[in-house]
Amino acid sequence: MVLDAYRIAAEPFYQPQGDEIEIFTAAYTERLPVMLKGPTGCGKTRFVEHMAWRLGRPLITVAAHEDMTAADLAGRYLLEPQGTVWHDGPLTQAVRHGAICYLDEIVEARQDTTVVIHPLTDARRILPLEKHNEIVPAHPDFQLTISYNPGYQSAVKDLKESTKQRFLAIDFTYPPPQIESAIVVRESGADSALADVLVAIGQRSRNLQGHGLDEGASTRMLIHAGRLVRGGVPLGAAVQSSIVLPITDNPDVRAALRAAIEACMP
Amino acid sequence: MSAEQTRTALMRAEPLPDSATRELHLMMRQRESLRAPFRTAWDDLATRWNEADLDAWSAAVLELVNINAGPGCLIAFWDISRSEPGNDIAALLAAAGAAAEICREAGARAAALSLKSLPIARNAFASAPELARWWRALTQFAHDAPDAVEPVAQRMSTILAPGSVEAFENFIASGLKLAGTDRRVRRNYFTLQHELAQRLISRDFGGVDFAETERHLKVFVTALWGRVPLFRALPCGDTAVARRSALAGPLIRLPEVYRGFEGDEAWRLYRAAAAHAQAHLVLGSGRFPVGKLKPLQIVLVGLIEDARIEMLAMRQLPGLRRLWAPFHTAKPAGIATAQALLARLARALFDDGYPDDHGFIEKGRALFAAAQTRLDDPAIAREIGMLLGNDLGQMRLQFNAKSHVVEPVYRDDNLGLWDFDEAPQANADILEMFVDAARLERQENDGAPPDDQQPSGSDAGKARPVAPDSRGTALATYPEWDRRHGIERPEWTTVRDVAALRGDPRRIVEALDRADALRGRVAQLVRGLRIGRSIRLSRQPAGHDLDLDAVIDAGLALRTGQEPDPRVFRSSTSKHRDLAALLLIDTSQSTSDRLRSGATVLDVERIAVAVLAEAMQKLGDPFGLLAFASDGRDDVKLTSVKAFNEPYGTEAMARLDGLASGYSTRLGTVLRHAGAVIGDARSFRKLVLVLTDGEPSDVDVGDPADLIEDARRAAMGLHARGIDAFGVVLGSPGMTAAARIFGRGNTMLVHRVEDLPARLSELYFRLARR
Repeated sequence: MVLDAYRIAAEPFYQPQGDEIEIFTAAYTERLPVMLKGPTGCGKTRFVEHMAWRLGRPLITVAAHEDMTAADLAGRYLLEPQGTVWHDGPLTQAVRHGAICYLDEIVEARQDTTVVIHPLTDARRILPLEKHNEIVPAHPDFQLTISYNPGYQSAVKDLKESTKQRFLAIDFTYPPPQIESAIVVRESGADSALADVLVAIGQRSRNLQGHGLDEGASTRMLIHAGRLVRGGVPLGAAVQSSIVLPITDNPDVRAALRAAIEACMP
Repeated sequence: MSAEQTRTALMRAEPLPDSATRELHLMMRQRESLRAPFRTAWDDLATRWNEADLDAWSAAVLELVNINAGPGCLIAFWDISRSEPGNDIAALLAAAGAAAEICREAGARAAALSLKSLPIARNAFASAPELARWWRALTQFAHDAPDAVEPVAQRMSTILAPGSVEAFENFIASGLKLAGTDRRVRRNYFTLQHELAQRLISRDFGGVDFAETERHLKVFVTALWGRVPLFRALPCGDTAVARRSALAGPLIRLPEVYRGFEGDEAWRLYRAAAAHAQAHLVLGSGRFPVGKLKPLQIVLVGLIEDARIEMLAMRQLPGLRRLWAPFHTAKPAGIATAQALLARLARALFDDGYPDDHGFIEKGRALFAAAQTRLDDPAIAREIGMLLGNDLGQMRLQFNAKSHVVEPVYRDDNLGLWDFDEAPQANADILEMFVDAARLERQENDGAPPDDQQPSGSDAGKARPVAPDSRGTALATYPEWDRRHGIERPEWTTVRDVAALRGDPRRIVEALDRADALRGRVAQLVRGLRIGRSIRLSRQPAGHDLDLDAVIDAGLALRTGQEPDPRVFRSSTSKHRDLAALLLIDTSQSTSDRLRSGATVLDVERIAVAVLAEAMQKLGDPFGLLAFASDGRDDVKLTSVKAFNEPYGTEAMARLDGLASGYSTRLGTVLRHAGAVIGDARSFRKLVLVLTDGEPSDVDVGDPADLIEDARRAAMGLHARGIDAFGVVLGSPGMTAAARIFGRGNTMLVHRVEDLPARLSELYFRLARR
């Protein structure tokens, strides 16, 4: 198989917070495109991996960036000694061979790039490759999933209305404290008391969202802190280097956040 | 001074019979020990002053002699007279008067020492009024505590180290209050052996004040409970001990300084106080009715409530214990005064490990422990507080509600816990407790005019102080399009400049504070834009990277025998912003409509404009703010809130706050004028943003379609001059008209007026990026 490299062998751990697995499964059954919304580090990517594993489909992930062109997604001609050779881009590969294509942080891409996905996300389910003079009908297994962080620069970088309206959406937030604590325990190997403290610290930083921080500490950050502690780093230092320092450069906010974190520690 | 001069000086004094000078001279001749120093002083002064001054001075000396001030005092006065820097005879006379007063109250030695300390005070205080205040404080002190004047005067240079007369007054007042009638403590304090005295005279070194900590505290407390606190400074006045914080509704009032706390300790104290106060607001539940509680019970209910909310807070955030614990310093020893027992109880309820076997404390502990299971119930504060209040009352300890201060220092005064409306027969003590709070309340509001003078709400239009015959300076006349006849009527409308009313800029600042989240988001956008956007350029003749597509095209061209395009590189350039914006604010009568939230449309416009103006100011984009309304074609009123060439600051905010609703909307004329205003700006891109809540209308125009058509032509005129006009419409009714005027693509509809602040800034940033 062409896409064997993209198959996920072992089950990626995912702790469901609601009915997102059922929704995604239903969407996949109908091959409807899905948009995952939510702040960074709250499990969007892990969820897609888990679903790809659960559905037994290969997963092609593309991280969108500012300079991404349509050709980067769809493909381009490359030169070889014999002449030019068409080279499928990641999206075309997924469309041709039937994979879940996951476009991470889609708003980062330029808007003219995102319209490439339009014919794939409506009833047509085709990918026109203008340069290659080809129309690729989507493989029956193909499905498109994008992720989108609405808090992040949403005013200037927003999805076009015409793009937004093609997707089902699943909203991701930070999990409730007990669940998040369980996730931290599972992923970092920390004991549950430590995980509870880390989750409390995470909540403190999330309280500051919009009041000094652009976004609060993600579950991922808490897991990192837990791993550091398990590795022998004292809690204070672990939190400092895994949460406080990465999350802000403003010395005032740092000092205040440190004081608030201090209040969480037993 | 030569002998000759001396003689003339003395002779000059001679011809005034019965004068004070003569009397003094006669007297001094008989005083063996004083004769020489007097002569020296006199000789010196006589060369500088005129006779009247000398006479007045002599009278002052005589007064000192007459109250038997003694040679030490006289010599001291002569010395300071000679060293008086400004030849200010009035100051010397005042000093003599004060010394006489001190001499009467506290004795000659104290007066002499006070006079000797004058040079120190002169150095410490810059101005004569401050010096006079120092004298007043000292004479009053001599009256209150005669025995303490000597030690204070001896240590004046140390005591005046903080360098302000307020600090001196505070030092005295603190000492008197601390000691009460206890002479030993008083002596201890005023000889600077007491710790408080030492702290007070050294407090101004490295002091940490509210202003310095505010931002930190705000972030800290927000992080703790996810609610943005509203902090205000609490003036400290001249109270003896560190003032406690206070709660007033949603406001947390923190002392300007915590006297006696410095450096890191002060920071910790501010954090502890802020966390405690916010815990009240977050975890407490409303106010307690005072009912018929006695002062002692009120204090105890407050104390239990403090313990309750702290316990709840520490269940969530155990680390708060470390923050608060160092301030609980009560010890289970010493005299069990009511004040001391209260502090001990506070500690006992806070700190399980604190040993205290006093019966009262043990009982309090037991009651509180029994209530641990229902800590969420605010009623326990009242139950326990009343029981303990009875006990303490029966112990017949003296309790003075007036001088009572909540311990430990980080706790608030707990007056915010009580609802006094329901306490008609609250006794005098309780009322007195609140007088202080009320006084401070008033002080803060003194700067601002009372609310009822502010034009706001629906009657604001009437309040506009523009008399019909003084409609403001005519700025320009503009043509208007006559739709029916299809012609442009020249000089049809007159634009008048209406001077802005000054409002209170602090209200804008406060509103901005409340819109913190939005402001943060906008600030983030500002940061993103300010750096200048970098743009990738493809197919460039030179650059840092190969443009893959161009290379392949070139390769293809080579192979097919065509001439390849040499532009195969990618490069990047940064785009600089060069944008001027003029924001037109509709203040017509309809903007006085109240929204469901209770704010008027104009209120929302105001905050929207304030947020955007702040962002534009940070970006450095030149911008103007213009409010408009009209009252017939001859009176199109424009109010300049901020001109292009003036900075956006307090003044502009005051004018923004001063805007009032009234009259109609003649948009076309306003757009033409806006074109004239922004046309002078030098920026490459010019943007006119119109904030309006409906379609154009005016009193002298029957069919609104006429004005819509005129505005449309005006907008087209702007477009033709390269000025982008953009309409922001509040509420759907105005949408059709606005879309006609500005074009559908250049109109933004804000369905919910409350969303305006966010949408307006977003719109600006989107437009500014183009």
